[in-house]
Amino acid sequence: MKPFPVYAEQLPGGAMIATTLETILYQGQAKSLWYLLFGTACCAIELMATGASRYDFDRLGMFFRASPRQADLIIAAGTITKKMAPRLRRLYDQMAEPRYVIAMGGCTIKGGPFYYDSYAVEKGIDHIVPVDIYIPGCPPRPESLLEGCVHLQEKIKKQKLADKWPKS
Amino acid sequence: MTRDAVKAYIAATFGDQMTLLETGRYDPFYRIEPGNLLTLCQKLRDDDRLKFDYLCNLGGTDTGTNFEVVYSLASIAQNHRLDFKFSLPYEGAEVESVQTIWPGANWFEREMWELYGINIRNHGNLKRFLLPDDWNQGHPMRKNWNAPDFIRLPEILA
Repeated sequence: MKPFPVYAEQLPGGAMIATTLETILYQGQAKSLWYLLFGTACCAIELMATGASRYDFDRLGMFFRASPRQADLIIAAGTITKKMAPRLRRLYDQMAEPRYVIAMGGCTIKGGPFYYDSYAVEKGIDHIVPVDIYIPGCPPRPESLLEGCVHLQEKIKKQKLADKWPKS
Repeated sequence: MTRDAVKAYIAATFGDQMTLLETGRYDPFYRIEPGNLLTLCQKLRDDDRLKFDYLCNLGGTDTGTNFEVVYSLASIAQNHRLDFKFSLPYEGAEVESVQTIWPGANWFEREMWELYGINIRNHGNLKRFLLPDDWNQGHPMRKNWNAPDFIRLPEILA
């Protein structure tokens, strides 16, 4: 991992750290991604295994939240049917910005290896919400999910504050 | 009752209305005429020896040339089971509701109505059940059904 700019100086009576606002903001966002509990099929089992002690999601600063108002990230774990799609969209709309979406497993990417000839399954959740990271697998191993989350953290850290301002 | 006892009893009592189909070792399977569905169901439930008090399942089939409606019955009291079916033409497919006999048929009939387009007479609550509320793409369990994002299983895998 690339070192981020931190300038520490020992001062009489305490320490002072000088850095950029960008670093503080995006390091903070990347290291505290709270995800919404949203498991609809077997991928949710792997998500639970990742959250449990063996794989330990907490070390990435990721905790599950039961409310979209407190979540920064949806891990869409499992098949999204056409009937479920409006509910997913509503949960996404209820989240505060900045918000991110991980599409976990084949079903959320392109309708899945088993449901491609189903009338009931949405063929990819990118028809419903914008997706940041795709994690293939059926279901993906917890290692894949962890790697996807690390990629998302890298993506967040690469952002620039200047990109938020309109260029006029 | 054992399967053979049920078969023998049905042949003696309802032999003129129910034709036994050869299905091997499974539960007795009959073909009936759609016209006498209601009277036959009533008799099967109220018969002292059969006592078919439970409707396990009710569903449709699209054979490619016509519809078939299949009823699966069980008797909790007597511990035996029975299935029967009848055929309907594609055009104007319609069956009578059996809710007066088994009230649990309500949801099965709604499901069959929306997935196959088989109309149910005297249902009382015939509205959208499993499909999305704004569904307007027809009846997806029909063989000739198609939709823009529907990918059919390739023939080589079938």
